[in-house]
Amino acid sequence: MESLSAATAESFRLLFSGDTALWVIIFTSFSVSVRAILIAAPFAFLVAFLMAHLRYPGRRAMIAGFSALQSIPAVVVGLTVYLVFSRSGPLGDLQLLFTHSSMIIGQILLAFPLLVALSHAAFQAADRRVWETSVTLGAKPAHAFFTLLHEIRFGLIAAFIAGFGRIIAEVGCSMMVGGNILGYTRNIPTAIALETTKGEFSQAIALGMVLLAMALLLNGLLAFFQGRGVMTS
Amino acid sequence: MKEVIVYNALHKSLHGRLLLEIESLAIYEQRCVALSGRNGAGKSTLMRIIAGLESPDSVTVTYEGISMPWKRACQKMRTHVIYLHQQPYLFDRSVTDNIAYGLRRQGLSIKDISRKVSEALDWAGIAHLQLRNARELSGGERQRVAFARARILSPRVLLLDEPTANMDSESREQAHRMIKQLKEDGVSILLSTHEFHTIAHLCDAHFSLQSGSLHPQTIDRENNDRKIIPLG
Repeated sequence: MESLSAATAESFRLLFSGDTALWVIIFTSFSVSVRAILIAAPFAFLVAFLMAHLRYPGRRAMIAGFSALQSIPAVVVGLTVYLVFSRSGPLGDLQLLFTHSSMIIGQILLAFPLLVALSHAAFQAADRRVWETSVTLGAKPAHAFFTLLHEIRFGLIAAFIAGFGRIIAEVGCSMMVGGNILGYTRNIPTAIALETTKGEFSQAIALGMVLLAMALLLNGLLAFFQGRGVMTS
Repeated sequence: MKEVIVYNALHKSLHGRLLLEIESLAIYEQRCVALSGRNGAGKSTLMRIIAGLESPDSVTVTYEGISMPWKRACQKMRTHVIYLHQQPYLFDRSVTDNIAYGLRRQGLSIKDISRKVSEALDWAGIAHLQLRNARELSGGERQRVAFARARILSPRVLLLDEPTANMDSESREQAHRMIKQLKEDGVSILLSTHEFHTIAHLCDAHFSLQSGSLHPQTIDRENNDRKIIPLG
């Protein structure tokens, strides 16, 4: 096992020398997670809006359900997606297991409840006058909806960031449905887990630093947008 | 006097309690009508129904002499009736963008929008505020932006929910002037208020909402310093 100081020095070299293997892993991570969050967010915001504005039987149960699903373990989602897309699973014929697509599906399922729960809170806290003012000024429902999105944008951005933070760092789901294939489905968390078990810490530390920087950046942005998300009259 | 909108047999219940039971309510062209009543009497609900923002249990609507179902009446109201909340909501954007909001929904050209917004800013005396974020304005300034934003759409009917509540005397006088100008522009106004002063200065008729129905009141233009004290 290499010494910690040597591993750290090597990790800096890897990061700043443009090591291809390392940057492919970083690119895979962001490529998968960004696509997942961009697909999940619009649907989640729409579901949250409908939950906040419509009255229908089972609404409270739905809200409670999404709230509970926020903390679903990533490996459970990974297991579910694995079973669905495995050769003997109901969607096995699609041959999506161990591809970016299955990783994206898994991350969408992970992010969706969190996005719905957080954006629902933002929609619920929105001033009723936003919608009414838009409508009374002649806006059609779609326009009024986009006006409402604009008015609560900081809350939605905070939800978006929290959702992205959840999936960029998860290891269980990506490991199970992505297979940790070098140069293809290996992302930052799965690479860190693998390199650590191999006792090769330099790449793990380099990737850890990227993840840490990302986490700090996301949390900084989250604090900024949550602070700005307070509605005024 | 020409009727703009007439609501007949308007009923509205809330949580099993009959809130509104109005036989007939007509809004006439270029008239300002005051609506008073204790807190919780249903004034805001009535105005929101007239604006098409809330549905009644049952009603018959006649718009410019044509009887129409509620759904179609709602579409008419959303085009021709504007409702201003007690504290008007201004969007988190510039004063100019707030005033242009309704015009942009109508698909006007940028040049026309710019010209109309410029006129509206001058009308409300807020040209110096045009680039400010509307959220940063004082209560009186916000009210002026809201009036300008409504006027620019040339509504047939303007519904004002306690437009001068909690205002200092200067802001109140300014609001009165703008409401008078709107009336002179041909807009029919229905305003809810607790203030005799406002009724005496602006209104042609006064109704009190009691037990869900409208009762005509006389307007005392001589002795109007009193305030109607809300009973609720």
